[in-house]
Amino acid sequence: MQLLAAMLFLQNRQLTHLSPVDIIILLLYFAVVVFIGFYVKGSTNTSEEFFLAGRQMTAWIAGLSFVSANLGSLELMGWAGSAYQYGILATHWYWIGAIPAMLFLGIVMMPFYYISKTHSVPGYLQLRFGEGARGLAAVSFGFMTILMSGVNMYAMALVMKVILGWDINFSIWVGAATVALYVMLGGLRSAIINEVLQFVLIWAGAALIPILGLIEAGGWTNLKAQIAVNVGNTNYTHMWSTLGHFKDNPMGINWVGIVFGLGAIISFGYWTTDFLVVQRVLSAHNLRAAKMAPVLGAAFKMAVPLIVIVPGLLALGVLRDPHTHQLIHLVGENQVDAAHPYSYNEVLPLMLIRYCGPGLLGLGITALVAGFMSGMAGNVSAFSTVWTYDLYGAYMNKRAPDKHYVLMGRWSTIVGMLISIGTAYLVMNAASIMDYVQALFSFFIAPLFGTVILGMLWKRATNWGGFLGLLAGTVSSISMWIYTNFGTAAHKADALAHIALSRDAQPMANDMFRALWSWLICVAVTIAVSYMTTPRPESELNGLVYGATVIPDDGATRIWQKPIFWACIVAVVFVVLNIIFW
Amino acid sequence: MAEGTGRGELLSIWFFVGVMTLAYGIVLLPYGAWEWFGGHEPGTVLHELHPTFWWGLLLLIFGSFYTIRYRPRPGDKDVA
Repeated sequence: MQLLAAMLFLQNRQLTHLSPVDIIILLLYFAVVVFIGFYVKGSTNTSEEFFLAGRQMTAWIAGLSFVSANLGSLELMGWAGSAYQYGILATHWYWIGAIPAMLFLGIVMMPFYYISKTHSVPGYLQLRFGEGARGLAAVSFGFMTILMSGVNMYAMALVMKVILGWDINFSIWVGAATVALYVMLGGLRSAIINEVLQFVLIWAGAALIPILGLIEAGGWTNLKAQIAVNVGNTNYTHMWSTLGHFKDNPMGINWVGIVFGLGAIISFGYWTTDFLVVQRVLSAHNLRAAKMAPVLGAAFKMAVPLIVIVPGLLALGVLRDPHTHQLIHLVGENQVDAAHPYSYNEVLPLMLIRYCGPGLLGLGITALVAGFMSGMAGNVSAFSTVWTYDLYGAYMNKRAPDKHYVLMGRWSTIVGMLISIGTAYLVMNAASIMDYVQALFSFFIAPLFGTVILGMLWKRATNWGGFLGLLAGTVSSISMWIYTNFGTAAHKADALAHIALSRDAQPMANDMFRALWSWLICVAVTIAVSYMTTPRPESELNGLVYGATVIPDDGATRIWQKPIFWACIVAVVFVVLNIIFW
Repeated sequence: MAEGTGRGELLSIWFFVGVMTLAYGIVLLPYGAWEWFGGHEPGTVLHELHPTFWWGLLLLIFGSFYTIRYRPRPGDKDVA
């Protein structure tokens, strides 16, 4: 949320303005997005069509949508800023922090999600662990998702205010109304079509920055040399060689935190159990497409650092004042002043303005708007599904006709968006709420992964084990967060040292280690309670658990049709890239 | 079948992708040509490479390919 804090500080000035050709480009985008909503409305009449896009999507579409739902502009701008602040280490959030988990989802977990015919991740928990685990997961997910949507909405409005001087109320209401309209009309189908479109537009709008930037810098090797000269060391362009100890890298983290905290827990928690992204894959039209979608998504995800991380690194190397030719030093949001007018988080807009004149600037702004809207649509469509299936349909009205649930899905989209707007205004008046919303979201991800993975891979896990493990993991995560975030500065430093096992650890390491501990607690409690309680008969676990399920043939006959073949190729490229940028 | 847009619909998702990028190419290419040949280059870094013109041309080609390749045809209508 550093980005938002910086934007709050800077909201009384604007970086640039749009010309008529930019406005034409932006209006074209809005026209197509709304048209898609009306166009697909006719084919979203059943709940399966509205909430799961009729399970008709190909692997390419589900895969692109899977990545796009996560590619919000807050993420783009935030990680570009992190790349400036921490160097190439930020790439870990796109590679080890995503690729292994995505491949694992496709090859190992997707068959269970898909053949269980669940509508949602809480729905899977209900099938596997009963109502307790489902209720806990559904309430926490629904609540957090809608709050996150509000934070995203406010972030979009603030970014538009800072870059273009737009009125915040205008941006909030136009963005929310557009997303609500196309999701309410076309449900997940409409959201997915738009997400694919948005993915293409994000690349069309942002890819010129690294291309022109690398031309200006004289190539990657020259850029690395310039960065080394500008920052005084070579730590900013190495991904692994500086991770031996917390003190050796700009992020204040070590390889244990990156590999186990980020790579093994946070990443797997997000990419395999966050329904916002998993819902996109559940829309696949057959098992093979469902397995291939995350694999294809992983391939595209590996390329995203080009448009996010490279601009941040380019700014370290080439961002100079056009008049004085002095290097521009970006600073933290609390240090912005007349001598240092820009913060880290303005890297992407600054680089956009540096290379893109009228027309291309409009395309870049459209890419940012598209990113925000895909993020909001992802949140609101996932919320509407979990609300309708796992809360309203599970606890309030179990036997309504299908049409009633579709209507509930449409209305919950509107209500969800209104709550998001309320959250956006709440955040506007009390910025610290953003930090709490972000933290709340992180409480559930790691323990949920512990519960789901044990549920899928271990037949002995019982209903009580699953529920109490999830509860214990969540409560422990909240407790650790309170322990490290409240009290005197000395207490906070001690607490961080205890959680991250080093006095040199920085706040980023805190998140990684908190996730690791809460996952371990969830798993330990689940195992202990499961051994003390009676397991379900194996016959009830068919389609839900490895070892109790005959996984149907996915129809692949030739090697290039097999998801595992492509997963291996993606894995090899992933390893090679990490070695190249070691 | 119109890929991914649902039952009874003629337009593929890729057709939307094509139309959108084609429209942007149609806007950017002439604007880039006007900048280049009319001497109206913006004051951006590397403007001498005429990025608006070339990017507009790329989007036009990409968009044209997808629009034509995935244009609706009578046989596409899904009867499921």
